[in-house]
Amino acid sequence: MQVQASAADEQDWIREALAEPVRRPCWRVWRYRTPAIVLGLSQRRLREAVAVRAGSSLPVLVRASGGGAVLVGPWMVSVTVVLPVRHRLAEGALVDSYRWLGELHARVLRRFGVETRLLQPQALREGDAGPAGTAPLPWACFGALSPWELVDDEGRKLCGLAQQRRANGIALVAGTLMRRPPWPVLCEALDRSEDLDALTRRTTDCAALGARGATVDAPDEAHERFAAALAASFDAALARALAPEDATG
Amino acid sequence: MIEIGLDDAAWKDVEPGTEALVDRWLVAEGERVTAGTPLAVVVLVKTSIEIPAPADGVLERIVVDAGSTFGRGVAIGLLREGR
Repeated sequence: MQVQASAADEQDWIREALAEPVRRPCWRVWRYRTPAIVLGLSQRRLREAVAVRAGSSLPVLVRASGGGAVLVGPWMVSVTVVLPVRHRLAEGALVDSYRWLGELHARVLRRFGVETRLLQPQALREGDAGPAGTAPLPWACFGALSPWELVDDEGRKLCGLAQQRRANGIALVAGTLMRRPPWPVLCEALDRSEDLDALTRRTTDCAALGARGATVDAPDEAHERFAAALAASFDAALARALAPEDATG
Repeated sequence: MIEIGLDDAAWKDVEPGTEALVDRWLVAEGERVTAGTPLAVVVLVKTSIEIPAPADGVLERIVVDAGSTFGRGVAIGLLREGR
């Protein structure tokens, strides 16, 4: 199921989905009408200071999964998949459980003309796989790279992944940039303005990669059409991937 | 005494030298728990993971405090088994 909601709605949905033992897979594809900063679990001590810098019009939340801060908003589409603890897509090594979701995103994006590269664990063991001349920025989700995330041919990040593993189930999350977020907003709120240039250079988006239907300076109506089409494609791909278990979208 | 930590499978394909972070302990030293009770939340490769009690018992000692990191094969706490 695809929904337009707030970042708080998304976090509430995940919390509720994991409040009881997960019996069968379920998912949501999220689009955001309004921006928010979502800090990684280990950044929660920063919340108060970030909220002060962000101002009252920009909510600051903490998610239960790891990784750096994310600036969600109309430029992003996210996917959340909740799985039973012993589900086939969550078995094996921790890193492996990201693979299928990364591959699913790569397949969907290819249908829109966006070619991406999946980051293999081996590539990351050999050093930073990001653009030459930039160092990772772990404070921002899109500033650093992890296994099975999606980058372009220069190593600029397009899609980030995270997950949480609870006694009741597993929640995998993926966020894809449809167009460039207002990175200065995130950098200023996190008091990292000095990283703005590097964060911009380490990231890309569907519009920049020539996605069909997306343009860099698209008017809102055109962007809405592209966002709706991309979200629908993710929704359909998840339905196919999870259908054998009588999943609910 | 049972060592509490991350299963070795969690570390497969993780970059050598990477450490996990103990985000928080959900149980205090000396507290009695039943098997499966979440003891701590740790973070590794952008994944937050609840570590459950492997058996009924008492959390004897916290070895790695919240906010500290630990490597592969390291016990973050010790559980004294028994009802």
